[in-house]
Amino acid sequence: MSVNRKLRWEQKCIFCILPGFLGTAVFALIPFFRMIYYAFVRSQFRREFVFFRNFIRVWENDYFRLALKNSIFLLLRDVPVLMLTAVTLSILLHFFFKKDAWVKAAFILPMVIPTAGIVPVWKTIFGDLTGTLPVDLLFLWKNIGICMILMTAALEKIPDSVYDAAKTDGAGFIKTQLFITIPMTAPALFFGTLLSVMNSYKIFKESFLYYGTSYPPDYAYTLQYYMNNHFLKLDYQSLAASSIYNTLLSLLLILTGLRLTKKFQYTE
Amino acid sequence: MKKAIHFILSALALLFLFPVIETFFLSFYSNGGFTLKAWRELFFDCFIFYPMFWNSVLYSSVITAGSLFIIVPGAFGLIMVKKKISKWIFFLYLVLMMMPLQVTLLPNYIGLRDLHLLDTGMCIILPMLFSVFGTVLMHQYMENMEISQIEAARLETNSVFRVLLHIVMPQMKSCIYAVSFFTFIESYNMLEQPMLFLKNKRLQNLTVFIADADQYTGDILFPASVIFIVPVLLFYLLLHESLQQNVCKLTGGCL
Repeated sequence: MSVNRKLRWEQKCIFCILPGFLGTAVFALIPFFRMIYYAFVRSQFRREFVFFRNFIRVWENDYFRLALKNSIFLLLRDVPVLMLTAVTLSILLHFFFKKDAWVKAAFILPMVIPTAGIVPVWKTIFGDLTGTLPVDLLFLWKNIGICMILMTAALEKIPDSVYDAAKTDGAGFIKTQLFITIPMTAPALFFGTLLSVMNSYKIFKESFLYYGTSYPPDYAYTLQYYMNNHFLKLDYQSLAASSIYNTLLSLLLILTGLRLTKKFQYTE
Repeated sequence: MKKAIHFILSALALLFLFPVIETFFLSFYSNGGFTLKAWRELFFDCFIFYPMFWNSVLYSSVITAGSLFIIVPGAFGLIMVKKKISKWIFFLYLVLMMMPLQVTLLPNYIGLRDLHLLDTGMCIILPMLFSVFGTVLMHQYMENMEISQIEAARLETNSVFRVLLHIVMPQMKSCIYAVSFFTFIESYNMLEQPMLFLKNKRLQNLTVFIADADQYTGDILFPASVIFIVPVLLFYLLLHESLQQNVCKLTGGCL
């Protein structure tokens, strides 16, 4: 192959990346920098630089704090429960009922059911129950599938011989799970946790459809409600500042999660 | 012991299926008996339902079909261009993929506003068309692609298009199904974008219809849910084997 031809091939491949990248740039990256600019000016009409005034104003807003607190509580409450349930179910399915494909399919199905299609029945089941339980359960119901797929894939990679060796040394079922399965599936566990954390952040759709209002009870008021309500007011400065708070928090979570996942990678 | 675990797991699985089954059941049930009343009301009295349902179908079909033209070449390019920049772009996509809507919604809004696309169908379609999820999944799948076949094909042709069509696409079949399915449900399930970007009710989708449920009589919601769920359910039953495998591939690459 001539050098010239090779070069042209490479140029064509770069050209393949461009449409997707340009689209991302136009709809996400470039406006992201505009958003940063908005966060530092006084208003849409008086564009003078005000340092961190918008950030301080958002931080001092009672609703923002309530939303942040609720979002973090939701994450701390739901993600551990979800992961624990998913891991237990995957292990039981893997070691006892490999053949029952329908059981696994039943746990995975909720992942693909559109939220809006299931909320009406959720409302009739839970009726006038107060508290966050209905939305917590909706989160569990919807997200257990992806965690179980991840966990099962990781479990299938562990050779049987490892368990056999542990058994001959006298280790019981629980012991083998704690000291073989958990360490060997650690990357999947971390990645599953990371996905669930981000999904708990995304629970707004479920919550909004369930409560059917922009002003839900105080305990259910999460960050996306705050964003949504400011969208309706078109208050760009508060929106931009709170978006940037969200970006920083998400980046922190994502980068830590990816790092941990890589670090615990199991190598032969 | 084994039997007990088996029983509990099966019961739990049924419990997970219950909401879906109950939705179907309730659409035919009212005041203690079997009835088609709710279905009649939905079909004959609720005129806003039709445009919103077709919007849902239209948006998600256009997005799903259109995004393939961006995803397949995009992922292929990222694999083929062996430079640092491809690694950086991929990492950017990976982070963007996991970003919650709270972060991406305002930038999307600003981009659309500057292009004067707000309150048109395009403002729903375009940002989703460039959603990075599909590219990330496809990229992970392509990493295990048979490069030797591509090298061989390049002795015959120097057209990227022909290589994609004859060598890459056949290898990627099951991944293409999976990506299309996930793109479809993601766009079928949109709530925030139509709610915030569209003022015109006739352009909004079925998710918004159900969010505004209080405006309509309660009964029609269950048949509406059934109609909403059925297409996804059919696709899932057809594709669930390859879906499970592909999700593993996605995560395999991130690990």
